[in-house]
Amino acid sequence: MAAANPSVFLLMVNGQVESAQFPEYDDLYCKYCFVYGQDWAPTAGLEEGISQITSKSQDVRRALVWNFPIDVTFKSTNPFGWPQIVLSVYGPDVFGNDVVRGYGAVHVPFSPGRHKRTIPMFVPESTSKLQKFTSWFMGRRPEYTDPKVVAQGEGREAMTTDAWEAQEPQHVACVAVPMWHCGTLSSNLPQAGSVFHPLRKMRTKTCHIKDSAC
Amino acid sequence: MAEVHVIGQIIGATGFSESSLFCKWGIHTGAAWKLLSGVREGQTQVDTPQVGDMAYWSHPIDLHFATKGLQGWPRLHLQVWSQDSFGRCQLAGYGFCHVPSSPGTHQLDCPTWRPLGSWREQLARAFVGGGPQLLHADTIYSGADRYRLHTAAGGTVRLELGLLLRHFDRYGVEC
Repeated sequence: MAAANPSVFLLMVNGQVESAQFPEYDDLYCKYCFVYGQDWAPTAGLEEGISQITSKSQDVRRALVWNFPIDVTFKSTNPFGWPQIVLSVYGPDVFGNDVVRGYGAVHVPFSPGRHKRTIPMFVPESTSKLQKFTSWFMGRRPEYTDPKVVAQGEGREAMTTDAWEAQEPQHVACVAVPMWHCGTLSSNLPQAGSVFHPLRKMRTKTCHIKDSAC
Repeated sequence: MAEVHVIGQIIGATGFSESSLFCKWGIHTGAAWKLLSGVREGQTQVDTPQVGDMAYWSHPIDLHFATKGLQGWPRLHLQVWSQDSFGRCQLAGYGFCHVPSSPGTHQLDCPTWRPLGSWREQLARAFVGGGPQLLHADTIYSGADRYRLHTAAGGTVRLELGLLLRHFDRYGVEC
């Protein structure tokens, strides 16, 4: 356990993919997955998931709500490769085919407590106009074979993307993700303000957060 | 040795007159710093904003440095370029900002500038594109020869950087 190997620490992430704003599209579902470095490993919970399909509400908000739970714990010896959550949103196009509506990624927050993040989504774009038309017509839009590429820095210079398409300029398409996390640690660990504390103090804090989350 | 983790994202850019932007970024450190993990430089994808004028890259940055001294604290330098429909690239701005020195998450807005040339070069840039560029990228983050330049403002690059520091208290540095 942590006492035998004092440099191992845990990162617990509890939260939800709350909602989305996509002015143009409806009937969307999202997939999440985590991308992390080699020193990290998930110890509990699911690191991937697919949500339900949601439609815009009939009221004036026109909200797309998933309220899709995320619950995962990682263990690591090194902050390098800090986990990122990658979200992909899919929906039907006018012909009924399932096409990608956006990809987005964000690092899991460093500090314990409640965080709400709004993630901009983007889609890959073909560079040739003919291919754009063909893909619209056939329903086979450019898609990443592995959405995890969105969380990586290398190789991006070969991509072109549209940051979210809509005719009305008022809203940026986004996914709001409130998150809680805390970590257990040893005193060898990096100081990050309130993230890492001596082990004995952290036990008390962990219980407190768990209670108030229920 | 003290260690510094820089973990964050280049979120995007706003306020540029051109659309279809990409960013080449790099981190410059002093001689006492050593990069243990991560890539020191990179290039984002080209993004065309469809809603509003902010181009979003969400480009991850994850670096692990070890250092023996505070001199040469890391500086992030950026070059924002635009790409037109023919695939030609034109400089939109240079900018730099220091990596923050306190632990935690920081939202940074990095302003950019681009060199103006003579009136002939400015006219050519308006019609044909192109325009003057820096020969040596270190002018972006150093103040040494800046007095020679005449520049105009570009847009702003938004970044979110999180910082984790380790073992600085052994060297008597309070963070």
